[in-house]
Amino acid sequence: MPGLCALVAWALLVLLRPGEAGEKSACCGPVVPRREWRALASECSQRLDLPVRYVVVSHTAGSACNTPALCLKQAQNVQNYHARTLGWCDVGYNFLIGEDGLVYEGRGWDIKGDHAGPTWNPMSIGISFMGNYMERSPPPRAIRALESLLACGVARGALNPNYELKGHRDVQQTLSPGDQLYEIIRSLPHYRE
Amino acid sequence: MRKATLEGMLWLLFLSVSGFQAAAAAAAASEEKHTLMEGQTLTVIRHVSIWKYANSRKAWQRLLDGGKPLTLAVTERPSGTITRVQVGRYFLEDEPSEAVLRVQMTNLQVEDSGLYRCVILHASKEPDILSLPIRLVVTRDPSGPLVSDKTSTQDVPQVSTHPPTTILTWHKFPTSPRTMTLTQLLPKTTTSISTLGGTGITTGRELTRTSVISIAFAVVCGLLSKSLVFTILLVITQRSFGS
Repeated sequence: MPGLCALVAWALLVLLRPGEAGEKSACCGPVVPRREWRALASECSQRLDLPVRYVVVSHTAGSACNTPALCLKQAQNVQNYHARTLGWCDVGYNFLIGEDGLVYEGRGWDIKGDHAGPTWNPMSIGISFMGNYMERSPPPRAIRALESLLACGVARGALNPNYELKGHRDVQQTLSPGDQLYEIIRSLPHYRE
Repeated sequence: MRKATLEGMLWLLFLSVSGFQAAAAAAAASEEKHTLMEGQTLTVIRHVSIWKYANSRKAWQRLLDGGKPLTLAVTERPSGTITRVQVGRYFLEDEPSEAVLRVQMTNLQVEDSGLYRCVILHASKEPDILSLPIRLVVTRDPSGPLVSDKTSTQDVPQVSTHPPTTILTWHKFPTSPRTMTLTQLLPKTTTSISTLGGTGITTGRELTRTSVISIAFAVVCGLLSKSLVFTILLVITQRSFGS
């Protein structure tokens, strides 16, 4: 009799699945918001059609940074280059990752980036590692930050659960994301050649 | 003895329901589903490695019953920036410099429903499959309310017996917007809708409206099925306590 009650209760729990929605925001790891790295206001208006099926990983090919203070400055530098020197509406990437192991919010999940050309920008999220990874690899904490960010994207419905991870050099003629980082992302589960 | 068989039945019910749900989820995850109506255009974009396949031939294949592939259209070795091929209603556009293969199937018929895939064709080995296969579902359009939206002089009986004529009429009257029951998963849905007659409809809002409706419908279906199972369980347990 108690076994039967337990079975019925268990069956109901599985079938009705309470509290599924609460998982979504709880899954997302910390992202340094724009306000915190003192970003210039964005002038971008083109939105992405979510959920997106592709993620393009690149590198900035600029200086690396390994502390939050240095990476904060570097994120500003990248934005200055894109928004002021190149005249874009904002920093080109949707997210940036530093060797401090932190994710920096760029254009975010909703706004179309400028990171991989006119064909790929409207259908992908662009994540860039701050640094040059031809000869060096980013530290494991930076790769963990990438994996956490990707899981967050799926949890929020911004990334299709079957999204495909690509290297920048898979979709444009470029050395980005650098030989070392490219080999690392090829080993990640969602990478598709 | 009765309780043992009752427990057994409950276990069976519980396992079968969770099994069905898991199977449905797995099947959905391994295919890219597109649901469109007759006369519409399917647009598919696939990534093609910019360095590996820049000189390869690409093909659009249909997977027949038993998994046998049927090649519907195939490109030549790329020359120039864009290589195009058209075979009947199938259009392939190979743009290696942009690392994409674009496929379009125009004027969809219900018979087009099935499983398709994009592949890289090799001369002497098995093809490389590009991403997930595409599950296409083409539905017959409900003729009545759509015809009344048009400033068309065709009457309803004619529409139901001559669907191709109706489709031609749509192209002649591009200015009247209609709500479409699209449930495409591709991000580039706007391109495929605008090919229907160059309307430039504000498809974004219509898509959110129809996706809200389809989400609400799915939620109601889920709730109904789960409450049905709950009621069955309740009846069974009450019977066992009653006896």
